[in-house]
Amino acid sequence: MRALADATLVRSAGELWRQATTARFLEAVGEGTLPVEAFNRWLVQDYHFADALTSYQAIALAKTPRALRQPLLDGLVALEAEMKMFKAQAQQRGLNLRGPVHHVCRHYADFLIRTVYSEPYAVLLATLFGVEASYLAAWSRLKPAGPYAEFIERWSGEGFQEYVESLRVLAESNPHADSQRYFNEVLIHERDFWRMTWEG
Amino acid sequence: MLHETLWRACQDIAEACRRHPFVRGLEDGSLDPGVFRRYVAQDAFFLQAFARAYALAAARSRDLETLSAFCELLNGVWEELKLHASYAQKLGIDTAHVQPNPATRAYVDFLLATAWHGEMDVIMAAMTPCMRLYGYLGVELAKTRTSGNPYQEWIATYSGSDFGELVARLEALLDKLAPDAPAVREAYRYAMQCELNFFSAVMEEDP
Repeated sequence: MRALADATLVRSAGELWRQATTARFLEAVGEGTLPVEAFNRWLVQDYHFADALTSYQAIALAKTPRALRQPLLDGLVALEAEMKMFKAQAQQRGLNLRGPVHHVCRHYADFLIRTVYSEPYAVLLATLFGVEASYLAAWSRLKPAGPYAEFIERWSGEGFQEYVESLRVLAESNPHADSQRYFNEVLIHERDFWRMTWEG
Repeated sequence: MLHETLWRACQDIAEACRRHPFVRGLEDGSLDPGVFRRYVAQDAFFLQAFARAYALAAARSRDLETLSAFCELLNGVWEELKLHASYAQKLGIDTAHVQPNPATRAYVDFLLATAWHGEMDVIMAAMTPCMRLYGYLGVELAKTRTSGNPYQEWIATYSGSDFGELVARLEALLDKLAPDAPAVREAYRYAMQCELNFFSAVMEEDP
């Protein structure tokens, strides 16, 4: 986690980084006091988000030079496994994954899709690093215990850490004048998304 | 016709726009000039994205007739941008460097994400509400004439026959290219909601 906190994009984001990686929802997950409806809301909305992120990663992969593609390929395969996990969880809990998309989730998804088509690959790498690094940092603040230990382990574990580190290297070795702006915009969406999962 | 079905299904939002303090302020001329200034800046940012969305739709068109229609609509929005440039010049706004507020950003991201990534029917559904709503508001506001209304030019633009023809052209294209499907209805309604949020955001923003 030290390399993550030291990443230039993270340090330059300042207060936004804290806002994107701490949330009442997450505190309640850590304390084991999360209301079931909040967890269910998160599960459905995060599924919609992951669906858009799949499109983002596929298009970003296609736009990125071949020599840099491996982490993106690995990430795409991992994301598909995550989608299957979401489906299984939703089935267990009797949730409809085709339910309405919250406008906060929708805006995040639209932002990703608009960005992936219109921005150069270097900006896309910084944007993806923002998405995954903030997620890793958010879940890593929690101890993997309680009813949601499985989720905490998934997004704070070694495998995810290594993936995020590979994205950090890609983003930092392909700098672009717009990278920080997009990285920061991701953090605003992350902050709003976590708020939505708690407040509805 | 599909365009009427979609419009009627969103009457609640259309009426909320009609009754919105921003629109009422344009109607009787009482709108705070500072709010109008913010509106012009945000709308210029929006229209630049709208022009890009037309261009993307033109590039993705499958026949010459549709390509030609999108080129004409693109010209129409270009004329609207010129109108904004004249307002902006009077108001001292640099339309090339506008910071979009969250409502503008959400609307623009939706339009561009749809224009790049969506199917043509959903693109049409996303783009039509802006035009139809402004045509409707223009005609409604033109019914009341307040002497010395500083926003008369705005009302004249959107109630004029040139704008009305563009709306009809776009709606004919929507009828031609889109079926009555859930994704089409959903995109149309979301765009209408974005319009309402757009008015609210310029009123609420700090001066």
